[in-house]
Amino acid sequence: MATAEPHGADAPVQILSARRMAWLRFRSNPVAVIGALMVLSVLFCVAFAPWITPYPAHSGNVLDFANRHAAPSADHWLGTDKVGRDIFTRVIYGFRISLLLVVGVLGVAVPVGAALGLAAGYFGGRTEFAITGFTNVMLAIPPLVMALAVGNILNPNLINAMIAIALLWWTWHARLVYRVAKSVAAEDFIEAARLAGASHWHILTREILPNCVAVISVKTTLDAAFIILFGATLSFLGLGVRPPTPDLGSMVADGRQFLPEMWWGVLGPALGIFYATLGFNLLGDGLRDMFDVEV
Amino acid sequence: MNAGLIEFLLRRAVGFVSVLLVLSLMIFVLARVVPGDPARMALGPAASQDQVDRMRAQMGLDEPLPVQYVNFLGGAVRGDFGTSLISGRDVTTEVLGLLPATLELVLATLALMLLFGVPLGVLAARYRNRWADTVLRLVSLVGVTMPAFLAAILLQLFAAYFLMDWPILGRLDRSMGMPAGPTGLLTIDGLLLGRPDVTLSALQHLAFPALALSLSGIAQIMRITRSAMIEHQRRDHVQTLRSFGVPGRVVTFRYLLKLSSVAPLTIMGLEFASLIGNAFVVEMVFAWGGFASYGLESILQKDLNAIMAVVMLSGLFFVVANLAIDVLIGLIDPRLRMKGGR
Repeated sequence: MATAEPHGADAPVQILSARRMAWLRFRSNPVAVIGALMVLSVLFCVAFAPWITPYPAHSGNVLDFANRHAAPSADHWLGTDKVGRDIFTRVIYGFRISLLLVVGVLGVAVPVGAALGLAAGYFGGRTEFAITGFTNVMLAIPPLVMALAVGNILNPNLINAMIAIALLWWTWHARLVYRVAKSVAAEDFIEAARLAGASHWHILTREILPNCVAVISVKTTLDAAFIILFGATLSFLGLGVRPPTPDLGSMVADGRQFLPEMWWGVLGPALGIFYATLGFNLLGDGLRDMFDVEV
Repeated sequence: MNAGLIEFLLRRAVGFVSVLLVLSLMIFVLARVVPGDPARMALGPAASQDQVDRMRAQMGLDEPLPVQYVNFLGGAVRGDFGTSLISGRDVTTEVLGLLPATLELVLATLALMLLFGVPLGVLAARYRNRWADTVLRLVSLVGVTMPAFLAAILLQLFAAYFLMDWPILGRLDRSMGMPAGPTGLLTIDGLLLGRPDVTLSALQHLAFPALALSLSGIAQIMRITRSAMIEHQRRDHVQTLRSFGVPGRVVTFRYLLKLSSVAPLTIMGLEFASLIGNAFVVEMVFAWGGFASYGLESILQKDLNAIMAVVMLSGLFFVVANLAIDVLIGLIDPRLRMKGGR
């Protein structure tokens, strides 16, 4: 910890730890802080949805035809949908599905991608050739087309959507980690560790992996935004979550039928998508500046 | 073309062929592991077991899986994907008829991406950290965070509300029929057939779908162009040009832009994959009736043969686009020609 010392003539030069420097840089970047707050608010909504939404029951199969297509008002901030459910409530619950998808996909894609990238960068030779080759091939597959095909040939639901997206998503992480791992593996301290008799496992997880944390965390944050968009697109096409579970994409598709008169049916979920993806994007950009890495 | 460039392109070509091979294997496995019998699907529940068996033999489904795969691959190379399980027509013929519509949309999108993305990126780099740059960065953030389906819906709404007579569905005014031109691209066929009204109408119909599809690409290209320009500005050779008194305009457009055009082109190649995906959504919103609409429909109806064709063709699109971009980059960047690789 750096303590506040007066800058006198013989005040000792303060040496800030790298972590502290990074934090200071992050804090002084208003965009990053706003992004972080937006992401935190989304996480808060996800965790406490039943307590902070005005009509928690409307996340399910509620019919209230008397109130259908109500315009935004004090009672219904974002209006109601075609069966009278509160759109604000459903948007907040929609965040849950979006984040579930994000966690599910990245929980698989990041470890797999990182492991393959590390192995390719560290071992080199045939391992490198095989892994980078395979990664490049997988990168070339249009993700939405594949997710649609996989999801629907199997059965369109959240789990299959997750599988389909994760199947292709690891490639980006593999590529990034590979690039970092390859340059780190050539450094002297790796050679030193090897001479000291460290195992491959030790070198991979304790020496190289910590150097990849920065790129991984930046990419993961930016990915979250992409996956929210991706999931919303799938369910907009009717291939994600099944009704009555609220999902931002399918809500847009529902609302679209009643455009332009009942514009709030699209506006609410659109704002939700926009807010969540913007938050993750800003935070990701902030982290990128903070770590000073290229992703 | 010299040896270095040819070697570079050959290597890329080998990579692209393996892309298609892996893709074909994946989609084949997927299509064969699913529960449900394609022959039964094609004939419907009323067909007898006998008929289904005959259909299976006719479709080659009674052969061992490796043989089936080789057959599928051989067919795919010849452009034969069998018949649609739903309509019973030849998949390739169906797809070919719809391809020009999507091709026109994608080409227009790429044009918009370059037309807006590169100049705006140059602008942002020249006025770095001034208000123009800030505004452009905010706009690009919106471009990245806006999903294509929302962009499509909003643009359609905008056209319907504010541009009363602007067409928001389909490719052409109904009254014009579908002129049978040689290319299938309505804008070009209109000119070839001497019917400027067709070209005009086609362009009108094209404007908003292409814009919706290009938004995220414009934003990406703008960002990359901006950072490439800024990075190159600091380099010694650019400083030298400046110190020799070469005007700023000339430095920017003759030297910097050429150096900085490789990065956005590479991004465009990668973006192409998501562009194909987004075309599915945009075509649906604007009732475009192209290849992507067909793909979506066949996926929803589990028309396996059609799905396989759509996935393989999407991969082929991507590969061809990237090969073209590689040739372009090779022509622009002499370093690649010399080294014959990256």
